[in-house]
Amino acid sequence: MWILISTLTMVLAGNLRYAEDQAPAIVNPLFGSSMAEARINELLFQSLYADDPELATIPLLAESGELSPDRTEMTVTLRSDARWHDGTLVTPADVVFTIRAMKEAATASTEAGRVAFISEAVEAGERSVKLRFGRAELRPEDKLTFKILPAARFKSTTVKRTDAFRTAPIGSGPYKLLKYNEDNSISLSATTTSAGVAQITMREVSDKNYQAKLLLYESLEALVRVLPRDLPLLQNNRKVELYPYQTNSWWYLGYNLKREPFDNPEVRAALGMMIDIDALLAPIGTGDRLSGPFVRSSPFYNHEVALDKKNSAGAAERMLQAGYTLEGGLWTKGGRPLTLKVTAHQALESAQDVAINLQSQLLSAGVKVQVEFLQDAAWKSRVWSAREFDLLLSQWSFDRNEDVREQFYSKGSRNFVSYSNPAVDVLLDEARDAADPQVRKLALRKAHQAIHDDRPMLFLWTLDSFAALSTRVKNVLVHPFYFFSFVSTWEMK
Amino acid sequence: MTGSRVPAGSETEEARLGLAGSRSAPLPSWVVPTVAGFGSFTLRLLGAALLVQLLIALAPGDAVDLLPNADQLRPVLAAEWGLDRPVSERLWLTLGRLARGELGTSLTYRPGTPVTELVVQGARHSAAVLIPGLLTGLVAALVTALWTSKRVVSGRPGGPELTGFLRSLSVVPAFLAAFLLVGGFNAAAWWGIEHGLIGRPEWFALPDTDSGLRSALAVLLVGVASAGLTEQHAALHAALRELRAAPFIEATFARGAAVWPHLLLNLLPVLLELAASRSASAIAGLLVVERMLLINGAGAMLWQACLLRDVPLAIGLTLAAALAVTTARLVADLLRLWLDPRLRSVL
Repeated sequence: MWILISTLTMVLAGNLRYAEDQAPAIVNPLFGSSMAEARINELLFQSLYADDPELATIPLLAESGELSPDRTEMTVTLRSDARWHDGTLVTPADVVFTIRAMKEAATASTEAGRVAFISEAVEAGERSVKLRFGRAELRPEDKLTFKILPAARFKSTTVKRTDAFRTAPIGSGPYKLLKYNEDNSISLSATTTSAGVAQITMREVSDKNYQAKLLLYESLEALVRVLPRDLPLLQNNRKVELYPYQTNSWWYLGYNLKREPFDNPEVRAALGMMIDIDALLAPIGTGDRLSGPFVRSSPFYNHEVALDKKNSAGAAERMLQAGYTLEGGLWTKGGRPLTLKVTAHQALESAQDVAINLQSQLLSAGVKVQVEFLQDAAWKSRVWSAREFDLLLSQWSFDRNEDVREQFYSKGSRNFVSYSNPAVDVLLDEARDAADPQVRKLALRKAHQAIHDDRPMLFLWTLDSFAALSTRVKNVLVHPFYFFSFVSTWEMK
Repeated sequence: MTGSRVPAGSETEEARLGLAGSRSAPLPSWVVPTVAGFGSFTLRLLGAALLVQLLIALAPGDAVDLLPNADQLRPVLAAEWGLDRPVSERLWLTLGRLARGELGTSLTYRPGTPVTELVVQGARHSAAVLIPGLLTGLVAALVTALWTSKRVVSGRPGGPELTGFLRSLSVVPAFLAAFLLVGGFNAAAWWGIEHGLIGRPEWFALPDTDSGLRSALAVLLVGVASAGLTEQHAALHAALRELRAAPFIEATFARGAAVWPHLLLNLLPVLLELAASRSASAIAGLLVVERMLLINGAGAMLWQACLLRDVPLAIGLTLAAALAVTTARLVADLLRLWLDPRLRSVL
C-alpha cells in the first residue's frame, strides 16, 4: 500500500532532474569541496539556522537561540520535532558531535573553517546546546549554517573519508537518499508525501555546453546556472522559465604585488586605465561594474568610489612616470618591452572570451600579453600555493556574510596577490569585532575605498545569473548560493 | 609444399602493418618469457602503473590542492596519502602496495571508495562497448577482405575500388564526424518533434539517453575509428590473397570442395593476432568515445582521475587496461600456438 501511495505521489508530484558538471564526489558535509556537493547537502541535511526568502537568518533545526550579554556564549534550543531520516530525534549530542568532528584535526574536514569561531560546544540539557566563542560575536546565528550530522552514525569525532556514512548518508533535510545510480546520477526522494516535488535526481552532464540543450530536449527540468551564450536559446522557449538571481560573486584582475613591475602602483594604475572594462563585459553577458570587493547590492559597497574608466592619456602619463618609454608601439624599460601573462582557471565560464579581448586591448595600448588557462589542480598549486603568476583573471564567490578578510588582510589565507596595507588590516579587524552593524558597515566601506585606491586588483563586474527550469516546475524560488534552500515550496506537475 | 605463389606486393603490405611473420615466423620476443612465466607480464603492468604515477606527480598540483582549505589540511592529508614523500619513495610504496594486492581507495574522484569497486564499475560499462567494438571491426574487415581479395585474385572489378575507399576512411576524422553526426541527429529529431512530425524517439537526447542507437554508435566508433577497419582489412586482404594462391587451396578448389572452411581456419591465427593488437588502440579510443557520448566507463573515469590527481584510481584503471591488453595478447598467442603446429615447432 505504501509503495502504491509513494508511486502515485511521484507520478503526480514528479521527478525533477537537474544537471551538475561533475557528480558530487562524496555525500558527507564534513568533506564537501564543490558546489555540486553543497547543493546535494542542502537537500539531504539541515543546519541550525538558514536563510529565509529575503536572505535573513531564521532558525531551522534550532527553535531559538540566546546570546550571553558579552556575546561570547550562545545557548541554542533544538526543535522538538526535528528528526533524522531514520525517524530518530535530532539531539544536542548531534550538534556537539558535528562541531567537534569538524574541528578535529585528524578528520581533516574541509568545513573546519566554518566552526573555527566556536571554541567549545557542550550539551546543556535535553534539547539545548551551549556554544562558546573565541571572541564576542555580533550575529553568531549567521554563521551557524553548517550542516548537522547524526552522531549515532559515527564511531568517534575522528571521521575518515572512507567512513561508511558516504554510502548511506542520513540527514534531516527535506529529501533522503534513494540510490546512487550506475550512470553517476543520484536519486533522492521527498521525506514527506505532501512535497511538491516527490523525487529529485542529480544527473552528471560533464559537457556544460550540452546542459541547456538537455533542458530544451526535456531530459532535464532544472539548470542551476545558464551560460550567457545559452540565454537567448532558452529565453525563446515556451517550456523553459528563466529565474534571475543575485550572487555575491565578482570578477577581478589581480596583480602579483610581489613581482616587478606590478609592485609599482603607477604601473598598476596605468594598466587599469588601458582597459575598457565595459567592452570586456559586453560579449559575455550583462552585469554590474564594480569599484571594489563587494557587489553593488551589498551594504558594504561604497557607492562614492568611482568606477575605473579607460583613459589612454592618463595611462601614458603613468607609464612615463614609472620609467617606461613607448618604442615601436610597445612600452619599454631597459630595452625590454612590458610583457605580462594572464592566468585564468579553465573552468571559469567565458574566461577565454575575456582573456582574448583583454590581450587585444592591452596590445593595442602597448603591452604584450600571454594567456594561460590552468586546470583545477594546477591552478591551486601554481596560484594558491606557489603564487606563480603575473595577472590573475578570476572570480570570488561569497555567501551572505561577504567576508573579504581572507582576501585582503595582510596574512589572509586567500590573499594570493600579497596585498598589505596596515590601515586596511585595522579596518578589517574593526569590522570583524564590531558589535554594531553600522560600525561594521562603515569600516568595510572605508576598506572598499582604501583597497580601490591601492589597486591590488582591477575590480571588474558581477554577472547577472540565471537559473532555468521547466515550466512544469512552479513556485520556484532559488537560493543564490545553495540553490535548493527553498525547494519545499516548489511544485511539479 | 613450400613454393606457394605469393601475390606481388603482399609482403610489403604486411611488413608495413607490422604483421609480417604473424602466421609462420617466430613469435614476438616477449611471448616466450610470458609463456614461461609471469616476469615480463608483471613488469609491464607495474611499468604502466608507475608511469602513470610518475606523470601525475610531474603535473602541477596534487590531490590536496583540490580541496578548499588545502593549506590547513595538507599536514594531515599529505601524510595520510603519502604525498609528503619524495616521488621515488612514493613509487616504491606503490610497488609495495601492488605486491600486496592493495589498490587502495579513491582520493578525490569518489573519496573513500575502494579503487577495485570503481574499476569494476567502469570496466563493466567499457566492456559493453569495447568487446562488441572489437568484434564489429574484425567482422567488417573480414567480410570486406573476403570480397576484395576474391575480386583481385579473379581480376574482376570492385576489389581495388573498395580497398581504396577503406584506405580513404583511415584519413577521415572519425571522432569529429561522429560528434557532428550526434549533433545532427539530435537537431533533426528536435526539429521534427517541435513541428509535430515525429514523436519523441526512445534514444532522444542521444548522448544522454542509454539507447540502442547510442550503443551502436559507440561500438562502431571503437571498431572503425583510428584507422582500425582500414588496417585490419589490409592485413586480412593480404593474408587472404596469399592463402587463395596457396597450392592446398588450389587443390581443394580443383577437387570441387568448399574452400571457405580452409580459408577461415587458416585465417584464425591472423584474426587472433589482429584482435590482440587492436585491443590497445581500442581501449585508448574509449577515452574519446566515452567522453563524447557521456558513457561512464573506465575511459571517462581515467580522464577524471588524472584531472583530479587521484593517483590510486588512475593506477587502478591503468593496471586494468594494461591487464586487459596483455591478457588479450597472451590468450591470442596461446591460441595461435594451439591452432598452428608450425609455431610450436619454432619454439
